[in-house]
Amino acid sequence: MIHRNKLVLGDKDLKDITEDICAPIEAYPSKGWLGLLTGALSILIFYVIILGIVIGKGIGLLGVNHPNAWGTMIVTFVFWIGIGHAGTLISAILFLFRQKWRTSVARTAEAMTVFAVMTAGLFPLLHTGRPWLDYWLFPYPNQRGPLWVNFRSPLLWDVFAVSTYATVSMVFWYVGLIPDFATIKDRAKNKIRRTVYGALSLGWRGTAKNWSHYEMLYLLLAGLSTPLVLSVHTIVSFDFAVSSLPGWHTTIFPPYFVAGAIFSGFAMVVTLMTLVRIGVPEFKNYITIDHMEVMNKIIMSTGLMVGYAYGSEFFIAWYSGNPYEKYVFFVSRAFGPYAWSYWTMITCNVLIPQVFWFKKARRSIPIMFVVSIFVNIGMWFERFVITITSLHRDFLPANWGNYAWSFYDGAILFGSFGMFLTLFLLYLRFFPAISIAEIKPVLPVGRESKGGTNG
Amino acid sequence: MSENNHEHMHEHSESELSAELAAKKAARPQIERNNTHWLTLEHYNNDPEFMKKAETEFQSSPLRESESEGGWARREFLKLMGASLAMSAAGCIRRPVQKIVPYNKQPEEVTLGVANYYASTYFDGNEGLGVLVKTREGRPIKIEGNPKFPMNKGGLSVRAQSSILSLYDPERLQGPKHNIFNEKRSNKDTVSIKWDGLDDKVVAQLKKGGAVVLTGNVASPSTRAVISDFAQAFKADHVSWEPLANEEIREGQRASYGEAVVPQYRFDKAKMIVSIDADFLGTWLNPTTFGAQFAAGRRDPKKLSKLVSFDSTYSLTGGNADIRVKIKPSQQLDVVMGLINVLVVNKNLSAYANNEKFKDSLVSYANTAQKLGIEPALFTKVATDLWENKGQSLVVAGGLQTLTSRSAELQIAVNFLNSLLENEGKTVDGKNGNPGLKASYAELEKLIKEMNAGKVKTLIIHRVNPMYALPKEAGFAEALKKVDMVVYTGDRIDETGEHATYLAPDNHPLETWGDAEFAKDIFAIQQPAIRPLYDTRSFQLSLMTWAYLANVGPKRLITFETFYDYLRNFWKEEIQPKAAKGKAFEDFWAEVLQNGYVGDLDHSTAARSFKSEAFAAIKPASNRSGFELALYPTVQHGDGSSANNSWQQELPDPVTKIVWDNYVCVSIATAEKYHLKQSTVVELKVGDKKVELPVHIQPGLHDDVLAVAVGYGRTRAGRVADGVGQNMFEFASFAGGPVFAGQEASFTKTTKKYNLASVAGNNSMEGRMIVAEATLKDYMKNEHAGVHRHKTWSIWSGHQYNGHKWGMSVDLNTCTGCSACMTACQSENNISVVGKTYVLQGREMHWMRVDRYYVGNPADALAVFQPVMCQHCDNAPCETVCPVLATVHSDEGLNEMVYNRCVGTRYCANNCPYKVRRFNWFNYAKLIEKPMHMALNPDVTVRPRGVMEKCSFCVQRIKEAKNKAKLEDRKLKDGDVKTACQIACPTQAIIFGDLNDPESQVAKIFKDEPRSYALLEEWHAAPSVRYLSKIRNNDKETPAAEKGGH
Repeated sequence: MIHRNKLVLGDKDLKDITEDICAPIEAYPSKGWLGLLTGALSILIFYVIILGIVIGKGIGLLGVNHPNAWGTMIVTFVFWIGIGHAGTLISAILFLFRQKWRTSVARTAEAMTVFAVMTAGLFPLLHTGRPWLDYWLFPYPNQRGPLWVNFRSPLLWDVFAVSTYATVSMVFWYVGLIPDFATIKDRAKNKIRRTVYGALSLGWRGTAKNWSHYEMLYLLLAGLSTPLVLSVHTIVSFDFAVSSLPGWHTTIFPPYFVAGAIFSGFAMVVTLMTLVRIGVPEFKNYITIDHMEVMNKIIMSTGLMVGYAYGSEFFIAWYSGNPYEKYVFFVSRAFGPYAWSYWTMITCNVLIPQVFWFKKARRSIPIMFVVSIFVNIGMWFERFVITITSLHRDFLPANWGNYAWSFYDGAILFGSFGMFLTLFLLYLRFFPAISIAEIKPVLPVGRESKGGTNG
Repeated sequence: MSENNHEHMHEHSESELSAELAAKKAARPQIERNNTHWLTLEHYNNDPEFMKKAETEFQSSPLRESESEGGWARREFLKLMGASLAMSAAGCIRRPVQKIVPYNKQPEEVTLGVANYYASTYFDGNEGLGVLVKTREGRPIKIEGNPKFPMNKGGLSVRAQSSILSLYDPERLQGPKHNIFNEKRSNKDTVSIKWDGLDDKVVAQLKKGGAVVLTGNVASPSTRAVISDFAQAFKADHVSWEPLANEEIREGQRASYGEAVVPQYRFDKAKMIVSIDADFLGTWLNPTTFGAQFAAGRRDPKKLSKLVSFDSTYSLTGGNADIRVKIKPSQQLDVVMGLINVLVVNKNLSAYANNEKFKDSLVSYANTAQKLGIEPALFTKVATDLWENKGQSLVVAGGLQTLTSRSAELQIAVNFLNSLLENEGKTVDGKNGNPGLKASYAELEKLIKEMNAGKVKTLIIHRVNPMYALPKEAGFAEALKKVDMVVYTGDRIDETGEHATYLAPDNHPLETWGDAEFAKDIFAIQQPAIRPLYDTRSFQLSLMTWAYLANVGPKRLITFETFYDYLRNFWKEEIQPKAAKGKAFEDFWAEVLQNGYVGDLDHSTAARSFKSEAFAAIKPASNRSGFELALYPTVQHGDGSSANNSWQQELPDPVTKIVWDNYVCVSIATAEKYHLKQSTVVELKVGDKKVELPVHIQPGLHDDVLAVAVGYGRTRAGRVADGVGQNMFEFASFAGGPVFAGQEASFTKTTKKYNLASVAGNNSMEGRMIVAEATLKDYMKNEHAGVHRHKTWSIWSGHQYNGHKWGMSVDLNTCTGCSACMTACQSENNISVVGKTYVLQGREMHWMRVDRYYVGNPADALAVFQPVMCQHCDNAPCETVCPVLATVHSDEGLNEMVYNRCVGTRYCANNCPYKVRRFNWFNYAKLIEKPMHMALNPDVTVRPRGVMEKCSFCVQRIKEAKNKAKLEDRKLKDGDVKTACQIACPTQAIIFGDLNDPESQVAKIFKDEPRSYALLEEWHAAPSVRYLSKIRNNDKETPAAEKGGH
């Protein structure tokens, strides 16, 4: 029998768990949290102002130009959408595979998904020339003919994919929260709290019937979410792959994008979890170093997949004999004016995660934090490389031109973190960051005699 | 009035009149009502309340809101009409509805919505063009070439087309002004005055004598008559001067043939053309006409003419040369003398072959080929090609670039060579040039002396700007202060205007009558297309008025009340006898107004004999080393007089593709040697003159040349041109004849950097088959030479086009890259100008661009030009990716852009392999300042922010032609639809038509022309545009290994 480490450390009993997890919600907010929230909110306000200016004056404030009609907004959109994937993977796929180690990270990973999708979802809407007409992107009954949308356009598929993903993720996340909301309601000491959490818990009683329905619904939603993990980024990759632009038009994009998304998502989970562990030390017992190690293994393996995709693109470019594609890879990307971004990407995504071959590195919080940050940077650059280095030098050399960086590009990328972090911090304060209901069943209660495993 | 009113009594505006409006209303004549016809009882009873309402029944009418003492109402209405068009399209915000009314009494010729064309002329001081002015509802909106005009034949230059924008320049003077000088005349204190006051003062001054009229070249015979009448009246002198004078040509002609004329050059009759720095396709004399003539020898590759260019700057002519040899200005004479040497000494050709003394005089020119650094065999071949095409060859030199200290010798040598080659009287027609090209630096120098001597009491300056275009050393500014009264007829207080005592603004050419004689005995008419927008008066009428008030001068000068009457009388007396061929005057006049001209370019001319003694003036060759300055005018600005024009400023230079600046062109080797980068600022020094300019690294430039464009660095032209670039006229040396080229120059590198905005992404085609090119020898072996064919197939049968299927072909062999099409497109399609900052960011809006690539060894790079517009693909990649169906395929093969539906995802632009789509990053339409909106084409939507736009194949013209055919109950025929670019193209390189009509020109080209190919054919977007490969007549053959490519 394989010896497994305990999923929850510190010899917790059921009550401890409830106390530990509810503590950040019920205690007066710490100075650290308030400080972080102030910072994040400031960035969010800055972000709102910047977006207001961009909507008011025009998308031309960013560096998008001719021939780089897409830029920071799309790059950052794909970045955030990718981030979201790890959450769904952990909460849905690992649930279906009965990976019990997922329970302590699933809630937060799922929250990250929801917030990342919310952050991402703004970009395709705001990057249009006339954002006030974005509703035209949805096929709704209208009196313009009726004028329908273009079902052949990958951008439309994207609208469906992202909106479906956002909806399902939110519902899945929310359903998981219901029993915990009820717990908080039961523990509430004032009326407002009881009312709010009571409403949120949708009248949860904890009866066997409740549980039976809940488990079934959760299973179904997990089943629904699972294909979305693959489909959303596949469809996002179609935005590029279905076009005819060399560097975009490649069949490897769907698996490559999904692997990249999981890669970046796990990196973001690791980043956040290390921070949560620092912020709420008690959570170290729930989000153990073992959890972190498992995630690091996934980071390394998906990193290798992404690396394989990078190599494969070069091979196909050479093998196809297509001179435009060859130029994009062998000249533009590797040695062109944006070579720095390409090599940043390779370094961050392929080289640096290799440290996880070493167990010490996998289990070292500082190392994994640094690596996860690099992976996040690298994955932003991956999308930058794909978008800009393909666009900036395409078929007719007379059209070539570089991206016209402006202050607003940086401001929007920076500001989007403000939105994400604000939401995340509020979540930590108001929602149980670890699933109370799910963590209890994985306690080794009554199984100590079998070698202390809980598997 | 009263008869009409009750017909319109449908609506009563309830809105209250403001006090201001009420006051205005009171000032208006009382409307009398006739109640024989009545609508309501109130009306019948003349109920006061009803009458009050009835008075304001046209509340929404712009007539109600019009200002001033009348005369403005109609224009105000037109402005509002333009404005409401602009506004209705300008974005999401709902603006108050502004109603407009059509003509109350419609002018006979005007049909609402249908354009009227008036034949007229354009003259920029050198180039003369026959034009058609397109007007809509009484306002000129576009200038097109007059297809009948025997010179430009429908083609038009960039500047002629841009001049429509200058008409609506908000910075034009709106009336006469007086400059109240202090004693030193150092202040600028202008006040508006009335014409009466100005006239009184000017007449009083003129009576004192000592008057001089300083003008540019005057191409108008009647204006010449007015000036000479005026000169007679006041014993005044007339001095002609232009910054781009052709004095060297006239003086050379005088020395060689005894007549100081600018000949008519016939490039259409020349099979072998050698140009020594004469940029005849870009800026020299009549480039549009020359372009059309040159194209005649290029259209059929089997009868291809040959152009050899010895080029010291990278001119447009050099860019079109079959063989281009880089030289420095001091070698110009060497080239011509070297060619003579090859013919006479080496090949023993011509009557001079036995003249030993003559041969001796050529000794110093024996090694020209080595001196130029080219193969002697190549140089010999150029000379023998000239000889073999005797009588059908042409050697030209001229323009600013040839104004070295030896320009007189150069001209004589060129004339000698043309006479030797028997071109005189054939391709060089000394008798039939433009008789108006009289501008002279020498005369100006004399005038300055007289001004300094105090002999000039009144100076009337017309259509030239000496304070801008003369170097300080000319001393014009000091001399001007010694003139008691300076009257300037310019349209703004510009560099000269601010030193003028009185500003008597002339009308814009589109507002005034005139005539022209651009070639001898081709008389053309200039018709006004709009009443003067402001309180301006034509220069001619000013002269007539002053003579009338003083009551002096010939009878015809003081008899007529308007210049129009003078002009008609002049035509009756002077031109009718010469040109009417016996027609009665009224018939003749009507015909001239309709055709725009009378006369013909073809005359048989006898050769003039070369005065062999002139040749003695040519001194032996000299050797120079070190950097030489070469100043040149640009296609977009010429001498810079019309620089306050955003279309011109934003038009990329045809060769460098840089906008909104001038710069020092240096060769690649020089840049490497001195560690200069593109945009490094250097301090350029010539003698004691210095200027800081950014560097542009120009492939194919001679290592010793520092070339800079003139026409920039305006200081008082207006908001568009002021401060753009540096004024290089300052670097011309003036004394003893102007020198613009070949001066010793040096530069020092600074640490500064100044960004140049170039629209050329990359100078090389990177080995791709974008501009297919072959040599003539290749082509003679295989008509498909240079075109790499791809086998493409599709699993989809494609669109069905049952009616029309529009297509376009562009002949790269006749396209000279002159960029007239770009301006035509800009004018036709209301394309925004974005300014240098945004061009730097890659946001230029031109729907049609002319890509320029360099080919061959960078140090001797040759250029190719390729106009690229939307290719209207059958399998359009843009159409499939638009999520909202804002860009769709029409059943006539057009790729249509639905602005209203566009959300602005820009996916279409990303997926377009040709990158022809342009995006409105900001609300550019909002920047259209009054009255510039009057230049907008009402047939084309002004695009708001956030939408994509692109070439529409001039869909509005297709629609217009279809409607016309329908009204005439006939089918569309080939040539009914002409796109704006096609019309403007001087070389007729662009052909548009219906591919489903097997008889159409374009269908035949698509089907039968072996040179035709689609851009990125293998990508299988199946464009509706095909290009015809470029054939270079350079005696070379492409080695098999280098053929093809992708």
